[in-house]
Amino acid sequence: MLRVRSLSVRYPNGRLVLDGFDLNVEPGELVVVLGGNGSGKTTLLHSIARILRPSAGEIWLGDTDLCALEGEQLRCARLKLAMISQHPSLIRRTSVLTNVATGTLGRHYTLQTAFGGLPRCELDAAHEHLAQVGLDHLAEQRAGTLSGGQKQRVSIARALAQHPRVLLADEPIASLDPEASEEIMRLLQRLARSAKLAVLCVLHQIELAYGYADRVVGVREGRIVFDLPREQVSRDSVHRLYISEAA
Amino acid sequence: MSVDVARAELRIATGAHTRATSWGGAVTTAVRCVLTLLGIAVVVQTLVVVEARPSDLITGIHGMADLIRRAVPPDFSKLPSAIWPTVQTLDIALFGTMVGLILALPLAVLAASNITPSRFAYYGARGIIGFTRAVPDLVWALLFVTAVGLGPFPGGLALGVHSVGMLGRLFAETIEQMDMAPIHALELTGARRIQVFTHGIIPTILPTLLGISLYRLDENIRSSLVLGFVGAGGIGFQLLTAMNLFQYQEVSLLLIIIFVIVLGAERLSAALRERLA
Repeated sequence: MLRVRSLSVRYPNGRLVLDGFDLNVEPGELVVVLGGNGSGKTTLLHSIARILRPSAGEIWLGDTDLCALEGEQLRCARLKLAMISQHPSLIRRTSVLTNVATGTLGRHYTLQTAFGGLPRCELDAAHEHLAQVGLDHLAEQRAGTLSGGQKQRVSIARALAQHPRVLLADEPIASLDPEASEEIMRLLQRLARSAKLAVLCVLHQIELAYGYADRVVGVREGRIVFDLPREQVSRDSVHRLYISEAA
Repeated sequence: MSVDVARAELRIATGAHTRATSWGGAVTTAVRCVLTLLGIAVVVQTLVVVEARPSDLITGIHGMADLIRRAVPPDFSKLPSAIWPTVQTLDIALFGTMVGLILALPLAVLAASNITPSRFAYYGARGIIGFTRAVPDLVWALLFVTAVGLGPFPGGLALGVHSVGMLGRLFAETIEQMDMAPIHALELTGARRIQVFTHGIIPTILPTLLGISLYRLDENIRSSLVLGFVGAGGIGFQLLTAMNLFQYQEVSLLLIIIFVIVLGAERLSAALRERLA
């Protein structure tokens, strides 16, 4: 589903942040990326989402190379790709249901959606996505009144409303308590299986990576150190990702 | 020996420090004196330039007392004829605010550095906003009276154009200060620019925009009273006519109406803004 080939990103200051990165994420698979601060994890996700323009390499989403696209073609291709971040970025003053349904805007370019409306069918579907994340009872509540964990679940529901084939999660549990963190990871794992989503998740919590990932990718200084099924990842090799950087 | 040297150094250092402190204190005092003298000079020059003559105020008290005596009691029989100009005054302000709101919103989008589509549009919109704000509404009213004739329409146009400048600037600043993370998240879902605007930017800043608009309406009601003096209709025009005809009892009635309008608008605007907050 998602194939990254020889991806390199060099910042304008000349620093090479990603260096010849290769990665595959298949449908139904939850891949966790581990690595220290500044190792290039977030840059990897931003490059895949094409928030950043890679310096070299290819990002294949199905049969489409995202690196070769610009403008409207890129926007259309990006519909298959959803992203959630550390701080769930919801429109605080609108309802939870509306926030979820805005995930469908890319598919509906009509007079109604241009003037702030949303199709009835998508609002109905938004209820189902909220039910998937266990928040249907809060559909009419303002997004700004939710807790951190609830907001993250709403942002996942919005991502689902997009009908993506790939879900990118950039430290989705960084600001959550342990219980909420487990909940979100369980949800991501379940969605990967049930919706056949390819989930690529950046984490700092090693235990959760061991608990929920199908594969773990270790990153250091913009290069892949290991890419293994979680059972084969030794704690030593994970710790070396962080220790060697500090040293 | 070394202790003596150290003490000597300390004495020298302390002495230098004390001298430096006393010099610093003297400079500060001198600066304060200069600033105080400058402040006094500014006040004195304003008195000279405006030709302030307190004695004239005292001798003029008789004239003022005579004016007040002739204005009391207010001529309430003129109340029915004051209703229409009052409605006109309120509608001039409402029209001006609506025109300003409609034109200022798209201009603010272009003039907000974080969402403007291009630098050219940014500077163009900033230029229009700056120009419409810099020219006083009274001058706009004079220009529109010349262009479209006497009446409430030039008054409404004047307030509308001036409001474009005031609202445009405040709207643009509101957009620039908003949290952009939810907007970027919406862009990532594949939403188009107009959809991001209507589904992301507008809901986020709407309460602030309405608050600013209500405040502007309050200001415009005050301004529309004055615009009547240059022929732009409303109660101001009636007030000018009554003063020119020495109808001071009618003038006092109109002043009471103006007081009620201004106070009512201010209270209503404040109450609505409080609800929006």
